[in-house]
Formats: sequence, structure tokens, C-alpha cells
Amino acid sequence: MSEPAIRLAGVGKRYPPREPGVAPLDLLIELDLTVARGEFLAIEGQSGSGKSTLLHLLGGLDRDFIGEVRVLGCDLSALSDQELAALRHAQIGFVFQSFNLLPGLSALENVLLPDFFGEGVPDAERRAREALARVGLADKGQSPPAALSGGERQRVAIARALLARPPLLLADEPTGNLDAQTGEGVISLFRELHQEGMTLLIVTHEARVSHAADRVMVLREGRLAAEPGSKHPLESE
Amino acid sequence: MRASKLFKLARSNLVRELGALAVSSGGVALGIGCLVFFLALGAGLQGVVNEVFPVSTREVEVVVPSMAIGNLLGEARLDDAVVARLRKVPGVAAAYPKMSLRIPAVTRYNGLFFGREIHMGLEVVGVGLMPELVGEDARLPFQDRGDGAPIPIVVSRRLLEIYNKVFAPQRGLPRLTDSMLIGFQFPIELGRSYIAGKTMPNAQEAALQLVGFSDRATLAGASMPLTAVMRINRRYGADADNYSSVLLRAQNADQVPEVAASVRRMGLEIDDSERNRALQIGAAVELVTLALGILAGLITGLAAVNTMQAFYASVRERTREIGVLRAVGATRGDVAGVVLAEAAVTGLAGGVVGVLLARLAAALLDRVASNGLPDFPFKPSTFFRFQGWHVALGILVALAAALIGAFFPARAAARLDPAKALTES
Ligand SMILES: Nc1ncnc2c1ncn2[C@@H]1O[C@H](COP(=O)(O)OP(=O)(O)O)[C@@H](O)[C@H]1O
Ligand SMILES: [Mg+2]
Repeated sequence: MSEPAIRLAGVGKRYPPREPGVAPLDLLIELDLTVARGEFLAIEGQSGSGKSTLLHLLGGLDRDFIGEVRVLGCDLSALSDQELAALRHAQIGFVFQSFNLLPGLSALENVLLPDFFGEGVPDAERRAREALARVGLADKGQSPPAALSGGERQRVAIARALLARPPLLLADEPTGNLDAQTGEGVISLFRELHQEGMTLLIVTHEARVSHAADRVMVLREGRLAAEPGSKHPLESE
Repeated sequence: MRASKLFKLARSNLVRELGALAVSSGGVALGIGCLVFFLALGAGLQGVVNEVFPVSTREVEVVVPSMAIGNLLGEARLDDAVVARLRKVPGVAAAYPKMSLRIPAVTRYNGLFFGREIHMGLEVVGVGLMPELVGEDARLPFQDRGDGAPIPIVVSRRLLEIYNKVFAPQRGLPRLTDSMLIGFQFPIELGRSYIAGKTMPNAQEAALQLVGFSDRATLAGASMPLTAVMRINRRYGADADNYSSVLLRAQNADQVPEVAASVRRMGLEIDDSERNRALQIGAAVELVTLALGILAGLITGLAAVNTMQAFYASVRERTREIGVLRAVGATRGDVAGVVLAEAAVTGLAGGVVGVLLARLAAALLDRVASNGLPDFPFKPSTFFRFQGWHVALGILVALAAALIGAFFPARAAARLDPAKALTES
């Protein structure tokens, strides 16, 4: 089998003290983690436990860490800024808690955002419409983000993450700003993507998200642990 | 990242920040407006100077030195032989000898002058010019037709201007145009002077006919065909062999000093007082234009600083968005590119508005001048001359100012740590 989608070995993240005299913050300590291709992993953790930081490390957005981070066969420490940008562009989709749509662009243009960079995205316009249709917003392409509900905005953000058809999706509390019902819609979208073979890593502190995942882990005091009772596909063999 | 995509993204950001855009663009527009305004004013005034002092930078007037030893010995002269030598001086394209009318002459006019009865007598100062020099300015033949025929004359355009703007209004005389005057004949008495109060024994009545107005004509007097002046001088026993001056035209303006040096080596003098005056006034206009241009440059510089502040604020405000761009695959260079593209649009808008402002201000000023200022000689219908390169330079400087102003903010945006940018609230 090819290399796993994600492999962490001895990964640590330390924030220097914010003011002198205070001890530095060891936010992530000696993390080891393997995520298989096609796996749907949920990582739970309380606010401030380092979930976002972990996602930023995985996406090459934060290069300041120790240990080894391998994503889709690439050793992130060995990549240049340009190569990391190219990796994010083609291989990784990001979804954020606060959607992060650009207010000056229409929904469709927001979905097209990856096409503005790098080599662009082949057949971007058609794919963007498909992606919008896929998240159920075929008729909202011209709407500005301000005219959309929270659930719609998050679905536009997901469509944006899907535009380049990346094999890996990283989502940071994607339902955190949504009510239960709209959150449910987003979760079932993730489930569908998973069924189509995409690798998903979603950090959350909501149990309903975790329920959709193959495997759930918990980030606590800088360390990752399998959630008690959670099935583990790699260990079940 | 393709330019069209870059500008699309830039535009979407600018539309949101129209206020900031207006402030940055407005500053640039002000600076560029001043720049283009002053450049056009300088060019316009230069045009007026050229009209008042219609001298060519390629030409010099050769005269016999007034105090030369050679002159006392009768050596320095301007006869046909010397003119032939002058034509051979390296760098000389053409030589046009001139000769003054060396006997007194007066004109007396009694009668109707464009509907008004006038009586006047004037001493006539005559200068003989080669017809080639007057060229197309003469509407009727500028040729001596011998004894008895009217002598064609051309008159300085400046003289007509001064008559129309100063003399005519003061005396209540009608204003005259070229076409009203061409063909006009008036009597002249050769060999007579009012000032000296004497009349030569063979004084004679003749007629002058105005055939045109020319910048080539002498300012104070009437310019006649050279052959006519020689004929009259000879007839009255005055010197008809030595010219008063020779106009030398160099092949180009750069060769004038060289030609002047050669002429001086021949024991002749250059009368460049008129040329120097024109050059000096031209240089003064240029200097003032330059100073005002620098002032406009300073205003544009301030606009660049203003643009810098606006873009710093804009980048700070959009920190999180910049993180998002990086997350979807933008490089640091792409982020800088987006900010610079915004600046380019801001600068171009400022440049275009600035040029329009300059034109508007010029039109207003011209209107004020035409309505509010009294008529004076050479009062132009416009004080401005907008040239293509003024506009091009203005827009280029506007673009440069905005890009320079946005350089550091763009770099700051590029250097943002994407992870930190994304956690910015
Ligand atoms: N630049 C920084 N310097 C010091 N501490 C930081 C910095 N950025 C984040 N942190 C700390 O990291 C923690 C937040 O981590 P984060 O990954 O955002 O957690 P989560 O996403 O699980 O809420 C907070 O405790 C915060 O104080
Ligand atoms: Mg977080």
C-alpha cells in the first residue's frame, strides 16, 4: 500500500512565553499519528487544546515545530514555501469554523478562489458550478456571502475546498458556528465525501461530528489518545 | 498567477474599500493634477515666449564689430565676398544678408484710414531682406519692381499685435487684421527727414505697399526687398556694397556656438542679444516649470506616503483573508501581487483623475484670463499646451507613486505568518 495520508512522528509545538518570566507553552507534545488514505478521522479536544495548531502544522501553514510531519508522501520540513503553497493548492482542502469567505467576491467567485493562484484549476468555472450544485447551492452562485445563511456560507466554503479535487480535507470545527440542523447537513456532506474516497481529518468538540468518523481521537494536555470505545481500523486487524 | 485574475481579485477588494481608495487616489490625483497642470502651463508659456521672441535657436545675426581695429582700417566689412566666405563656414546651412536703408525717408498719411480721418507723419526705418527669408509670409510678390513702382514691404507681426492691443485702443483706432491691411499703399518720401529737418536735393516721392506680416521683418520699421534697398542706397550715393548684417542659419542648434566662434575668428561679431533674451526667458520659464514640477512631485510623494498608510491599514484589516489566500494555495508572492495590483488600480485611477483635474483647472483659468484680464499684446487664447507626454508622464508617475507607496505594505502582507493570520480575530 502507498504511504498513509498523514504520518506524525514525535511532533511537538512550543510557543515561547508571551511575557518574560513565564514558562513556554508546550501545546503539542511528542505526537505520533497515522491517518490512512481514505480514512475519516475526528479529533476532539477542548478549546485551547491545540486542535487548530495541529491542523495548521498539517497544512504547512505553520512551519515552526519539531518532529516529522508527512502529508501525502511529503516531508513538510523539506518543502520550500512555494512547494507548500503548491501542496495546499492541489492536494489539501481547508474548511474553517468561521467559513472565511471573501466578502468582496460572490459565492461562485469564492469557490473559484483556488483558481486565482498557482497554475489555476483546470476547467475551473465548470467545476465550481458542479461543486456549488453538489453542496446544494446551484442557484446561489451570484449571491455575496453577506446574503447567505451560516449553513450556506459553510457549504460555499466546502465547495471552495473541493474545487481542486484534493485528496485530503482538513476541517477546523466546521459545525462550530452552525445550529444543530444545518450542522447535520454539513456532516452528511462530509460522510458522502468520505464514501467517495476522500481522506478527512476534522477537529471538533462536538460528539455528533465524531459519530460520522471512522475513528475518534482526543487531544488533551498536548497529547493524542484514542477515545475509549472508538473503533480503530488499523488496530482491529 | 495571471494578471487578469490578479486584477479581478484586486478589484473585489477595492470595491469594498472605496473610501480608502478615494483617499489614496485623491492624493495621487492632486499631485498628478499639479504636475500635468504645471507642465502644460510651462509648455504654453514657452509657446508665448516663442511668439513674442520669434527667434530660431539655429540662427545668429552677424554684424561688423562697432569698435574693431579692423573696422578702423576698413578691413571688417560685410560685402558679397564675406557673405560667400560665411556660407562656407562649417555648420552653416544658409546665409541671408540684410541691408539698412541708409538715407532718411518719411511717410505722411492724410486721409481716411478705415473710416477715420487721420493725419500723421513718420520716419521710416527700412531694412532690406532677401525674399527667401520672408517666403510664404508675403501674400503678394515681395520683389523690387524698379523705380516708380510701389515698393513691397513686410511688417513685423509683433508690430501689428502692439498696434492692435496698445495703440489702437488708446487712440480709438480700429483694430486691424492681416487681410484688411494686405495690399494697403501709402506714400513715402525718400531723402527727407522730419527729425533732422532736412531734405536731400534729389528727394523723391514713392509708394510703399504692404504685402504681408512676418516674424522675419524688423520690429521697428519696414522690411523691403534687399534689391530695392540696394538700388535706393546706390541712387542716393550711400553705401550699397556692404551689408548691415548677415543672418546665418546653422545646420542645427548645437552647431551655433561653433559657427559663432568661426565668425569671430573672421573678425566679425555676433549680435545675439535678441536670441539671448529669448533663450534667457525660455530658460526662466523652464526653471519655474521645473520648480513647480518638483513641488508637484513633492505632493505626489506625500500621496505615496498616504497610500502607504492606507495600504498598511488595509492589510492589517484583511489579515485573516490573507491567511485564507495562503490556505487555498497563494504564495507570498501572490499575496504581494494582489496588494500591488490594488495599488496599481489606485494609482491609475488617481492619474486619470489628476489629468482631468489639470485640464479642468486649465480651462477654468483660461476662462478667467479671457474674461478678467485686459487685452494685452500676445495675450494667448490659452496659457496651456497639453502634450501627449505630459499625460503619459502624469499617469506613469501616478502608477509609480502608488506602487512605491504600497511596496512596504505588500511586503508586510507577504510576510504574514499564515497560521497566525488565520487565528486573527
Ligand atoms: N502565538 C502564540 N503564542 C503563544 N501561545 C499561543 C499562540 N498562539 C496560540 N497560542 C496558544 O495556543 C492555544 C490555542 O491553540 P489552538 O490550536 O487555537 O486551540 P484550539 O483550536 O483547540 O482551540 C491557546 O492556549 C493559545 O494561548
Ligand atoms: Mg481552534
